[in-house]
Amino acid sequence: MGGFSELIKNFDKTRDYVREFFIYGFKVRGDFDRKSARTYDDEKRRVESWLGDYLRYATTERGKQAAITLNSARIAENPLCRALESRSFTDNDIRLHFLLLDLLADGQSHSIRSLTEALATAYGAVFEEQTVRGKLREYAAEGLLLTERDGKIIRYRLTPQTPERLFSAIPALADAVRFFACLPEFGFVGHTLLKAAGLSNDVFLMKHNYIVHILEDEILLHLTDAIAGARMVNLHYLNRRSQPMECTIVPLKIHASAQTGRRYLIGYLPESGRLLSFRLDYIRRVKDGGACENFAEYRAIYERNKERCFGVSFGSSRSDKKSVRITMRIDTAREPHILERLQREKRTGQVTHEGGMLYTYTVTAFDPNEMMQWVKTYIGRIVAITGAPEQESRFRRDVERMHRMYRSEEGDNGAVQ
Amino acid sequence: MELFSELYGAYFRTVEHILQRGQVTAADIRQIIQAQAFRDSLLFLPQKLLPDTPESWGLLQKAEDGTFRRVTRHAPPQYLTLLQKRWLCTKLSDARMRLFLTDEELTALRMELGDVQPLYLPEVFRYFDIFKDGDPYDDAQYRANFRTVLEAIRQQEVVAVEYCSGKGKMLRGRFLPLKLEYSQKNDKFRIYCCQMRRERVGNAGVLNVGRIRNIRRTGLRMACTGMTARVFASRRCAEPVQVRVSEERNGIERFLVEFASYEKHAERDEAGRSCTVQLWYDTQEETELLIRLLGFGPVVEILSPPAFREQAAQRVQQQYALLQDGE
Repeated sequence: MGGFSELIKNFDKTRDYVREFFIYGFKVRGDFDRKSARTYDDEKRRVESWLGDYLRYATTERGKQAAITLNSARIAENPLCRALESRSFTDNDIRLHFLLLDLLADGQSHSIRSLTEALATAYGAVFEEQTVRGKLREYAAEGLLLTERDGKIIRYRLTPQTPERLFSAIPALADAVRFFACLPEFGFVGHTLLKAAGLSNDVFLMKHNYIVHILEDEILLHLTDAIAGARMVNLHYLNRRSQPMECTIVPLKIHASAQTGRRYLIGYLPESGRLLSFRLDYIRRVKDGGACENFAEYRAIYERNKERCFGVSFGSSRSDKKSVRITMRIDTAREPHILERLQREKRTGQVTHEGGMLYTYTVTAFDPNEMMQWVKTYIGRIVAITGAPEQESRFRRDVERMHRMYRSEEGDNGAVQ
Repeated sequence: MELFSELYGAYFRTVEHILQRGQVTAADIRQIIQAQAFRDSLLFLPQKLLPDTPESWGLLQKAEDGTFRRVTRHAPPQYLTLLQKRWLCTKLSDARMRLFLTDEELTALRMELGDVQPLYLPEVFRYFDIFKDGDPYDDAQYRANFRTVLEAIRQQEVVAVEYCSGKGKMLRGRFLPLKLEYSQKNDKFRIYCCQMRRERVGNAGVLNVGRIRNIRRTGLRMACTGMTARVFASRRCAEPVQVRVSEERNGIERFLVEFASYEKHAERDEAGRSCTVQLWYDTQEETELLIRLLGFGPVVEILSPPAFREQAAQRVQQQYALLQDGE
């Protein structure tokens, strides 16, 4: 098998490949130029083994491209969970796991020494006491084992809590876990609970389902831990030009979009006194950066500014805030749902009736650019944009260009300015 | 406490299932590997499981009858990990948890979890573009309706529904609920169902749980096998929308991330400056797709089907005229 393994130790590289296959799906072997051909073949084979028929191939003029293809709104479980089920381990890890749990299945407390001896006598499995101690400590930290002190001796026993017992005691919990396992906030953990109890989701579907978020869960867990613990983090991330960057920042919030599939860390950079955003899928590594004494102060800065943040941008200074007015023509007699749509989608700001069919949405935001994609979903109804000259003129140019594009059969190939 | 851990891995789960049996044949081992592990695991796992191979983990021994017995005395014990408990603890404070659990059940779960810390605080997340008219999860009637739907899906049972349509019209009917769909963007639950015509299954439809005014179970049960797939197939577009996406303004990346939830096929042009994408969509959600595509402005051009392109062209023409009028 030439050293190939389905299992992996480090998720970083695999995350990139799964993402490439899932998000883009148009790359051919030669496009993965930063990695060796062997790496590409191994990673592709791994993904194929995990995801089976979801990985499809197409032959194009540029070559054979591999893509993970599925309609996320029609699946009961996130197939990308399989990627997180692929952690490698040593032969000793798996032997110790099943043999130690067998010894501890009696529910009694056992010392490290007695367990080490029992491994040898019961199964002929000879391990150093230090190795057994390490595994027991690891499992105590993971919550599988409970510890008791008997003088200087530490005793371990198996947790009496099991998913099966929990679901038997509270049967309705199974459907709750089925539902929450589908959500993007660490849904993988719910998936592990269902698997442990031999359950699966047969009821719930998720619309606007960005299953790829699961690939960021490890990074996200470091960040939510740091936020809960008021700690700084050292981030290794890629900037917009895919260049590796590093900074130490105070993590404050996760801003997530339910519509664009993007999630961001919002953090405070003390040396520049700015709130910054980092795409979660661009963050490669997170390291603890130590306690942050002024965490409450930085969080207060965030709270003061969040209402002026339309998405994730907090601008470069307070003077960046702009009051934008977008006037639309809405025939509420014929299309009352358009006004309702505006009210429910506007996030912040006010909608006022100007008379007749004219309605104005007024909002103050750090970065009006962030709202323009949403504004353009109202194309056909926008009468005027004021307060943001740059965005207004770009909108005009865009409409003129789209007008040419859709008027002609060939479309428009001019450059976007 | 790790998320990416062998404890939650496919190999550990596979071995657990094998050891639960106590005694297995080689065929059983292959069948369990296929069910629990990855597609190619049959190439790697058997030699680790079977005794007397150089790579054996030594967890099975060969019996006289040619089968394999576990070396352990018990079936592998189950356990709830700290990660799982902390995740459940976080969900306790989610309003949607009360759709499933009564106050008594919530108290029982709290007791079971003890003093464990939440995995994260829900307020850490700010979803800035969720619609404001989400379902009322705190409303007792809504919760009761939700549970009736859930139970009816479980029992494959027809429900009698009084429903307020989007236009405020009261409708009555009998429906066979099939699936519950949740949209984070809309913050709403919807029911995929089939309307009943006398005692027969009729057209497929979607009901918003939040618009149900009254619902009761009828006791009439129907076999639902294959029905959901038929409903979805009936809503799938006959022809995909084809768009050209320009790389300008980071358009390709933005577009493909945003439309990652769709079934799609993308091809990049030779120069790499644009890509062509085919998107398969639910015909009932054509307008939503259209306005989302228009939101990308000139970075995305709708190429086909012609009728779909024409809808975009009409809106753009209206917008163009509005701007010309304003000058």
